[in-house]
Amino acid sequence: MTREPCQDAPRPPSGLWELYLGFLAIGARSFGGVLPWAHRVLVEERRWIAPADFAEVLALCQFLPGPNVGNVSIVLGRRWFGPAGSAAAFLGLMALPLVWVFALALLYAGHAASPGVRAVVTGVGIAGGGLFIGTAWKLARPLAKKPWALALAAACLGALAFGRISLFFVLPVAALAGFAAARRDLL
Amino acid sequence: MIPKLAFYFALLSLVSVGGIPSVMPEMQRVAVEVEGWMSAAEFTQVFAVAQAAPGPNVLVTALVGWKVAGIAGGLVALAAFCVPAAALSYSVGGLWDRMRDAPWRKAIQRALVPITVGFVASGGYVLATPAGLDWRAAIAAASAAAIAATRINPLWFLASGGAAGYFLF
Repeated sequence: MTREPCQDAPRPPSGLWELYLGFLAIGARSFGGVLPWAHRVLVEERRWIAPADFAEVLALCQFLPGPNVGNVSIVLGRRWFGPAGSAAAFLGLMALPLVWVFALALLYAGHAASPGVRAVVTGVGIAGGGLFIGTAWKLARPLAKKPWALALAAACLGALAFGRISLFFVLPVAALAGFAAARRDLL
Repeated sequence: MIPKLAFYFALLSLVSVGGIPSVMPEMQRVAVEVEGWMSAAEFTQVFAVAQAAPGPNVLVTALVGWKVAGIAGGLVALAAFCVPAAALSYSVGGLWDRMRDAPWRKAIQRALVPITVGFVASGGYVLATPAGLDWRAAIAAASAAAIAATRINPLWFLASGGAAGYFLF
């Protein structure tokens, strides 16, 4: 640790307006997934936070319920400016995408009677479902040699996708089973 | 309908461990099977519109609400989904950091990985099979393989899925 001012040290935003504009920039550019853009803007461009620090915050926000990057905006906004910071960062993140999504929805509603448009949009949705499956596959790679972890993942998949059992039942049961298994070093 | 939306999405917020992908199976189950707000095909289309917009995929809650009760329904569903989770993040952020080395925190983290895998895969399966398992599952298989094996912007896979949907329909 050095006491001298270091040029490379990350510097938090100087005010609420700057914070709002930073998250507005993330929301405006985040076609195809918001996480890579959050990293680019916060860590690489505006240098508000160090890479390792960002990874820690993200790990917490992926564990917490709620939208992951939305939680990042709450946690970082709080760290820098308290409740007003959380509100500024979150509203900045959501403002432009919300306008976009309603505009697209109205546009689609106007053309949903056309079978061609429906076929395209359904194809996009199915491809989006595929992206979830691919993401699950990537997340599952570190579990390849952990049979209990794979069994737990498969049980969750069977219960939700095929059994169509409510998440409000599946989550508590899976969490208890997972916690018990993790304490016995099975996961 | 709006109070029901608010109540339902606020509850869903608190179990959305792993984010929106984890709660897609439950959202679809309630919207399509329990409440009959829309068909499975319409649910997949609403999800597609949300994916095509920039921003966090939590916007799908706004579109489900919009489908049920217009713009007001959309804003209520989005707020109901975001606020409880945001309040939780706001209050436990510091605690979680202080407990970095606690054994219970590590056990929870390890337990959540396979659970999230199962939830996210379920969300993908439900969205990719709006009319049961048919030939269109090939679109989902292709985009799943593409995202797992490459670092290309996923928007291209969504666009290819749209084109495949059009030409193979």
